[in-house]
Amino acid sequence: MAKWGMVIDLEKCTGCQACTTACSMENSRLPGEHWQDVIFYNEGEHPSAQMKWFPRPCMHCENPSCVAVCPTRATYKAEDGQVLVDWERCIGCKYCMIACPYGVRFYTEEKPAYGGPDAKRVFAADDGHSWSPPWKGPAEDWKHGVGVQPSDVVSKCTFCYHRVAKAPKGTADLDPQNPALREFTPACVVTCPPGARMFGDLSNPNSEIAKAIGNKNGVRLLDQLGNKPQVYYLTGEGGAVPANRSLPPKKA
Amino acid sequence: MRNKTEPQTLGELLAASVALAKDPSAAGRWFLGSMAVLAASFAFVLYQLVAVGHASFNTSSDGVNWGMAISTYVFFALTSSGLTMIASLATVFGFKQFYPIAKRCIFLGIITLVAGFSVLALELGHPFRMLWTIPTGMQVMSPMFWMGVFYAIDLVLLIIKFWLMLKGDWDSPLSHQVGNAGFVAAILASGMLGLVFGSMAMRPMWYGSFASIYFILTAALSGAAAIIVTTYMAYDFDRKQMPAELKTLASSNQFTKVFAALIGITLVMIVTRFWTGLWSNMDGLEGFNMLLRDPLFHVEIWVGLVLPFFMMLSPNSGLNKTSQLVAAFLVLGAMFINRYEFVIGGQLVPMFKGNWTNSLIAYTPSAIEWALTVLGVAMALACYAYGEKVFDLSSTPSGKAAEPSGAVRAAG
Repeated sequence: MAKWGMVIDLEKCTGCQACTTACSMENSRLPGEHWQDVIFYNEGEHPSAQMKWFPRPCMHCENPSCVAVCPTRATYKAEDGQVLVDWERCIGCKYCMIACPYGVRFYTEEKPAYGGPDAKRVFAADDGHSWSPPWKGPAEDWKHGVGVQPSDVVSKCTFCYHRVAKAPKGTADLDPQNPALREFTPACVVTCPPGARMFGDLSNPNSEIAKAIGNKNGVRLLDQLGNKPQVYYLTGEGGAVPANRSLPPKKA
Repeated sequence: MRNKTEPQTLGELLAASVALAKDPSAAGRWFLGSMAVLAASFAFVLYQLVAVGHASFNTSSDGVNWGMAISTYVFFALTSSGLTMIASLATVFGFKQFYPIAKRCIFLGIITLVAGFSVLALELGHPFRMLWTIPTGMQVMSPMFWMGVFYAIDLVLLIIKFWLMLKGDWDSPLSHQVGNAGFVAAILASGMLGLVFGSMAMRPMWYGSFASIYFILTAALSGAAAIIVTTYMAYDFDRKQMPAELKTLASSNQFTKVFAALIGITLVMIVTRFWTGLWSNMDGLEGFNMLLRDPLFHVEIWVGLVLPFFMMLSPNSGLNKTSQLVAAFLVLGAMFINRYEFVIGGQLVPMFKGNWTNSLIAYTPSAIEWALTVLGVAMALACYAYGEKVFDLSSTPSGKAAEPSGAVRAAG
């Protein structure tokens, strides 16, 4: 059984947000509801302030607090390590959003994240979907939270479950450079122009991602909270993983 | 004024409801008025939910996920638990001087819990799904699961206890067992509601077992305030109209002392919570600074808690009817602000959003969220007016309270 994970090399990431766009297209996201986001933040103050960026998908944690708190088991950990939402069980209580330390979950029924127009009204659906975007993907699987979602449920990054689940069993790495595996690789990994993302099996010691984490000191976001993300970051000389939520420091 | 015979079948209860609506008395006007407000707010909420959907709430994935509807639910649920605790003074712990308010406490415990559940159900995306997803999921890891289990048990026990009281059974072993179990259920339910928030290590403004203790003890305070307000309301805010036993309790310092102690405990808990929140440097506690700058917080502390505390401590004004009423109203308002400040405050620090959401969250309740709060209050008031008129809520095991009693039971 695989334990799918991702490695993001911050030395290579240019903050171009192609991953965000690819994810939105692949998963028919509403404008502003970014399952995969590139967070920009300030480090330090004038004159030594730095503008930094940090790509952030769902961490698909080993100990997901969102799964533990869900009163209905609508959100669950799949066999191969993905954290998913069953849209047919979700009651929309939003407890998982409260419990997620990474802010990667979205309630599907909100005011537009950007000022407007409201895409849900412009592309209104009449078939149980919350909207009917003009660029729907072919995959739709409400049991695994894939596709255009119904109203009043919680949605999140699936690690492109609809692609990854079809990969040949025993695959160690889903390398988009390999034409045979490309269609099974998550959209953000396929599209990343500098090749900063790697996707593979964390439980396989021979996978490239396991080697990279070991050889290049892979670290995890907000590791002190104990969720043990399955997304690792390589910092090298160029990048840093924020240790906190990046709010301005407390004024004494 | 009062019905000598209380309705006990469903048909009789409904008939009493119609009779009350036609009744020109104060209770009838209260009932009609709050039913009208209830109907209007419910219609508005339904219209918003159908026409706009849950987008009509001012909650967002970037910031406050749980808005005022949740804080209203917490307010009602904890008030219900508190009322059960106050009733338990007489029914569990045997302080017989508190018998005259026990039945009213139990009735109010039922209706505040139902009002809270109603507000919560209208906030949920798919409330009816709970009926099959919770039993088939059995997610025992979730504090919310246990909160639901304990509050459901609490509600059933409250209803059984009230029904037994209606039948005049206050002191049988069965009635005692139901009372004891109901007290335990109310403690577990309010404590578990605290853990819904207290388990969240990623939100340090809530995190810790303190949240449970805080909810249990402050629940007792809102229950005490609610029973003072409603007992006076039942007698047109006039102590002279009260039956003898109740009048004895109202003009003795027994209840005043309990009330003052509960306010004091609440004040200590709030001060210690804010002290650690403002002093500690841990990431995620920044919201305490913002709450301190909020005028509502100071209304809650100084007007809603400190002032009533001193009023109740003073031996002269503590026994005064107006003081008791004013203090109880102020405390009830303060506790509503307190629940709001707790629920919203804990979400002010955004989760990992960087410069997309780079400061503490601003949140203002939307029209539908206000309407849900109004709906909860109107529902509780309508049920209360009905209960006062139809059931003899001041009765005690020693006899019907409405009947003039020659021998006033000595307090203590």
